Amino acid sequence: MFLNGIEQLLRRKIVLTAVIATFVFLGFYWWGVSAASSIEFSQGNDMADPVMGMLGPADAALAAIITAGPLAATLLTALIIVIGSTMLPEEIGQGRMPFWLSLPQSRLRVYFSTSLAPLVVSFTLSVILFAGIFLITRIYFPFSPRSIPVVLISMLIWLGAVWASVTFLSLIVKKVASMLITFFLAAVASMFGGINEMMQMFPGEAPDALVTVTRVIMFIFPADRGYRGVIYGLIPGDAVITENLAFFGVTANVPPAHLIYAVCWSLVLLGLGYWKFRNMDF
Amino acid sequence: MNKEVLVQISNLSKSYRKVQALREFSLEVKPGMIFSLLGPNGAGKTTVMKILLGIVKSDSGTVHISSLPVSSPLSRRGVRYLPEYVTFPSWATPKVLLRQLERIRHESSMQDFILRCTELDCIDLINRPMGKMSRGQRQRVALSLVTTGQPDLVLLDEPSTGLDPGGRVLIRNLIKNLASNGSTILINSHLLGEVERVCDTAAFINKGRLIAEGALDSLSRQTGLAFVETEHTAEMHIALEDAGYSCRIEDKGVLVQLTDPSAFREFTEAVLTTEIFFSALKLKRENLEDVFLRIMEHSNLEDDIVS
Repeated sequence: MFLNGIEQLLRRKIVLTAVIATFVFLGFYWWGVSAASSIEFSQGNDMADPVMGMLGPADAALAAIITAGPLAATLLTALIIVIGSTMLPEEIGQGRMPFWLSLPQSRLRVYFSTSLAPLVVSFTLSVILFAGIFLITRIYFPFSPRSIPVVLISMLIWLGAVWASVTFLSLIVKKVASMLITFFLAAVASMFGGINEMMQMFPGEAPDALVTVTRVIMFIFPADRGYRGVIYGLIPGDAVITENLAFFGVTANVPPAHLIYAVCWSLVLLGLGYWKFRNMDF
Repeated sequence: MNKEVLVQISNLSKSYRKVQALREFSLEVKPGMIFSLLGPNGAGKTTVMKILLGIVKSDSGTVHISSLPVSSPLSRRGVRYLPEYVTFPSWATPKVLLRQLERIRHESSMQDFILRCTELDCIDLINRPMGKMSRGQRQRVALSLVTTGQPDLVLLDEPSTGLDPGGRVLIRNLIKNLASNGSTILINSHLLGEVERVCDTAAFINKGRLIAEGALDSLSRQTGLAFVETEHTAEMHIALEDAGYSCRIEDKGVLVQLTDPSAFREFTEAVLTTEIFFSALKLKRENLEDVFLRIMEHSNLEDDIVS
């Protein structure tokens, strides 16, 4: 059933479009990074330009990654929302769900094997995209990422949270509504995730109301925690400007508790989705 | 649980919000039967099928297939189902769909599938995408897919939908072949002529209740009409009217209203005394449509009295 879901998904134009967009994106990224690689770093020689004198290839790599990261995230978030919101509703709407359920398999299996396909496709594309960004950057600006395992785990947490949300919503509201709600939540969570990083730079300075709103948003939709984990793991640890960029909320560490919470949140939503699916009549 | 019963439904009730779809519905289907669920639109026939397959959850009652409760996926191991409406992906060919089904059923059935496609005259379609087939072609392919192998129980919801007369004949033959090989068939159809030709047993449902059940022969009554098959229709008509019978000329014969089916012997003598050549003389029984209308009318009348 899972392979059937993957087969069905790979035939969809939206997935083909996303694959093409991924490679076009990487092509442009390669072009941009190779053009930027002509910059000469003169680390240790701060006579001509004191700022340039402090920077090295790792800083250029960091700049390239944090420029590409949000764009890649937007593409992947859009993809998983669109395919995640349509997978179960289309099987139900086209009358195929009674057919699948009439076969000797449990509802749990039908639910997870059908809904898991969008996560697997999105995660695969995400790995390709971020691996491409990493490799292209490394060709021109040699650097060592902080932690590849953190990147992969955070990526799964980030996409998993968006997927769990859109899968659950697609069973309780119409698919377009589930897409729009998840898009809205993802955008708001991303914005407040950045605000949270900035507030951490100035403890006690932010208004209490803003702190509360930020925490509530992170609590309601924790997908952004995963995305920040991806960026944190991918960027070079030895870049000079890392600390300064933390001000903009793009390079800060994500506490493991936040990631664990995002996993639990996703599991609860998936459980609720299954509970709804289990009790549905088709 | 009776081991000689393939499907056992006991006191099944189901409501969709305020609509009571099934009320204390009980039914037993024995192996090898070609069984039909009959009833007007909204009677609850499809709901019965869907509850059997675990697609719809019942409010109360028990349902078993081969002694296994339908909540267990194992109960559906030997069961095949063709829904009334199903849209397979337009890109998928029958071969691809078979592969998908094989993955779930953990079995290889290509040879059986090819035989079934040959039987249903759709072998030339097995590599064509479903989106490029007519409705009737899709229905033949779908039937081939669901009946492949040696199923214990086949549930068909309006199987003749979209089929031409030739296709209907092929499906009738398929159903008979399946039954002769030991499969039990449960059909839900409004095409009573088709049901009458292929089924041996029927259950009538009205407003979610089982109102009649039995072999088609036992449900059908004498109509009180007799038919004299003859080429001399005009002469026979006059002669029988002169003998005091109310009759009318029909194609290749004369239809006569008897006062009582037991008066058939007396009528036979009357026909013989006319000395007009006839090739057959028979009492007419109700066809399935007559049975259906009589049972439904009676059921509605009872409901009116109760209310």
